Amino acid sequence: MATLISLFGYSVPLTVILVGIALVIGLALAVMFWITIGWSTYQSVKSDRRQAVSDELQGELLDRVFDPDVDWQSWIAGMSPTERTVLRSLLDEYLRELDGREADRLRELGVALDIPARSQKQLQRRGEYTHLNALTWLTLLERPDEYVDSAFEPRTPRERAATVRLLYESEALDDASEGLSLLLENSVSQFTVFGQDTLYRVASDDPQALLETAAANYQTWSQPLLIQVLTVFQYLGTSVSTENLSWLTATLEHESERVRATAARSLGSFGWRVDIREQAFLERLVNDPAPRVRQAVYEMLASWGDEQSLRTLIDALAAEDDARARLVGTTALAKRQERIDVDISTKLGQTWEWSREHAEYNTAARRRTDQVRG
Amino acid sequence: MAVSSQLFGELFAAFGLAVIGYYLVINAYYLWIHGLALLELRDDVRESNWTPPFRQFASPFYPGIGIIMPAYNESATIIESVQSMLSLNYPELEIIVVNDGSTDDTLQRLIDNFDLQTVDADIPIDVPTEEVRAVYRSTSYEELLIVDKENGGKSDALNAGIWLTDMPLFCAVDSDTIIDRDALLQLVRPFLEQPASAVASGGVIRVANECTIEKGVVKSVELPKTGLPGLQVMEYLRAFYSGRLGLNRINGLILISGAFGLFRTEVVREIGGYRHDTITEDFDIVVRLHRYLIDEKREYTVDFIPEPVAWTEVPATRRVLGRQRRRWYRGMVETVVTNRAMLFNRKYGRVGTVIFPFFVAAEMFGPLIEGLGYIILPLAWYFDILNVQFFLIFFFLTTGFGVFLSWFGIFSEVWSFNRYDSPWQILRLLWYGILENFGYRQWKTIVAWQGLIEYLKGVDTWGAMERSGFKTEDD
Repeated sequence: MATLISLFGYSVPLTVILVGIALVIGLALAVMFWITIGWSTYQSVKSDRRQAVSDELQGELLDRVFDPDVDWQSWIAGMSPTERTVLRSLLDEYLRELDGREADRLRELGVALDIPARSQKQLQRRGEYTHLNALTWLTLLERPDEYVDSAFEPRTPRERAATVRLLYESEALDDASEGLSLLLENSVSQFTVFGQDTLYRVASDDPQALLETAAANYQTWSQPLLIQVLTVFQYLGTSVSTENLSWLTATLEHESERVRATAARSLGSFGWRVDIREQAFLERLVNDPAPRVRQAVYEMLASWGDEQSLRTLIDALAAEDDARARLVGTTALAKRQERIDVDISTKLGQTWEWSREHAEYNTAARRRTDQVRG
Repeated sequence: MAVSSQLFGELFAAFGLAVIGYYLVINAYYLWIHGLALLELRDDVRESNWTPPFRQFASPFYPGIGIIMPAYNESATIIESVQSMLSLNYPELEIIVVNDGSTDDTLQRLIDNFDLQTVDADIPIDVPTEEVRAVYRSTSYEELLIVDKENGGKSDALNAGIWLTDMPLFCAVDSDTIIDRDALLQLVRPFLEQPASAVASGGVIRVANECTIEKGVVKSVELPKTGLPGLQVMEYLRAFYSGRLGLNRINGLILISGAFGLFRTEVVREIGGYRHDTITEDFDIVVRLHRYLIDEKREYTVDFIPEPVAWTEVPATRRVLGRQRRRWYRGMVETVVTNRAMLFNRKYGRVGTVIFPFFVAAEMFGPLIEGLGYIILPLAWYFDILNVQFFLIFFFLTTGFGVFLSWFGIFSEVWSFNRYDSPWQILRLLWYGILENFGYRQWKTIVAWQGLIEYLKGVDTWGAMERSGFKTEDD
């Protein structure tokens, strides 16, 4: 053990070095032990305290929510910090579940708890999550003024989505274009699902506005963002009166299979448009080289559901040589089988039988579920 | 005798130096990974503390998920497992149970409990698995599909589900796994936020022994009272929680637990599904995904999400645990050998140059080197060339550092999504972190050597997992 190690010009016995390292590890272990136990105990005590008041507060809160003459101020006046924390947590939970008068009363409780003023202060602080939590509270309480009166400007995509959501839920948006421009202007990265859902809600009020925004900007968007916007169109209403769908049909020629497939699905909402039901256009779509895109086209045709589309679909499926694409097509077709008055079993063979039988099981199971629910 | 003793002494000294160097490098790597885990966890905790103000169930943007559950002789737990899947909160779900030629009454129990009827039509696509005997649909649950096929192993059963699902994503789960109700809403997050690049995401696996399960839902979380499952709780926290969080920070996750992982169906079909000739299919599939997507020059992410939790029953006896760990070891060697072209290959980026080599060094060679040490040390002592003082200091140093890493994993748990509420449970976990170094760790080195020998002999059996079934409130 007399081994000497040369260190910074000194000769140090190896044992000394090892003992030094052992001391460091020992210290690290002691710190880790006490931090872990300390934090666990703190959390446990906090949780127990909250649990102790939670049930009682929950009952009292529910009683008051249904009382039209509730006086929140006098109820919360004597509450401890723990009780207020639990109450805020219950408020957050119920505001997400309840609508109507009960929700309005809960919003008054939020004001009594001084949440809007606190949220406004949080908007002035730094940190994305601080801003997001503040905007979320203001959305739940439908208090856009605290945001409007503040100097806060959303910077990240999530902050922009949360801000638009606040304005949308509070009916404080001048029009859909305002929300869309806040969401999509200079936007390069994709949305979170919350952002995408917000885009969908805002655009639902005025699909035309999103169509125009997309027509003007789609070429500047990243591929994921373009896919997300196209997906939104898939779920929007069909009453869009714009003349110009050329940008949407142009995306059907995109180099990415995923973009083309999503574009085809989004066209499912526009089945009433004569220009996109032109036979030559459909022929081109059902002959896309990518099976994934053809699958989407089959779903689009089934979603249109008129006689001409279904005939085109059946002919395309009969000629389809990709087994999975054919299966996706027959599955979509089976949802429209009540509109088919010709025998297609011989044309589409076992794939059709498989899809038809599964559709029947789906209907039977749904009927059973409805019966159970009464 | 003197010459051989001198030669042994020199060899021993060289071995000792190599081992010291090895431990320094590996432990520095582990420290780095656990440090990254803390950063990742900080972000995850912040993220989880913010719930966006919208109703997830009313949103149409959640992609459909097919849950694929292979089942081989799982009669004891199959009904509760399926019920657990049926009660999951997710907008669009399909549950495919693949009965992989069970010899017990697994299929009959499914038929009796879920009103199953046979689908008469032939399957219209080629399913690259052992013969599918029948497909059943439930007349009570629209989302439930049962596939009955000849036995072909877990990979084969998973492939049957992957080829038969209509959903763009599939979640591979073990049939003895209970998933938290909102888990899929969390696990799907990478696919929503990176729709063009996310290909896989994995959640946390926790130990269900001693937890109370009611109607497929974990009602109360308890730490196992017996040593072996308790030690595994601590092991899972260190390796499957903290370790994977760190790797996720650098997009270097190369393993998603087979018990709970979400994948893009199309991409897994493109690589031919799970390989039939592997016994650790979960490791193999993720490594192959990395390899395939890098070869194809596609942008992709493989993510680890720390909050969604799946609960699984772990072996409670040394015999069954030994069998499981030998299989894990054999499968690991097999996957490493198969994908050896990735090792130190700059083409595979960080995964090829750092993550995979360190994984091999630590997980594959680590227990072997340690096991070798347990043989050489008594010999060195016999030949009087062992510096006992040095050995003891080194042993306690490495043990101390091992305990530190284990406690780091426990701290990560306490600091974030703590499921063990009582400080007494945490104290017991910390104790397990010390206890595992005296007996359990040494036993695992023997198991690793046995696994290596089995691999070299070409053993390819799966081995049965004996389950006692989940604990319910009536127990």
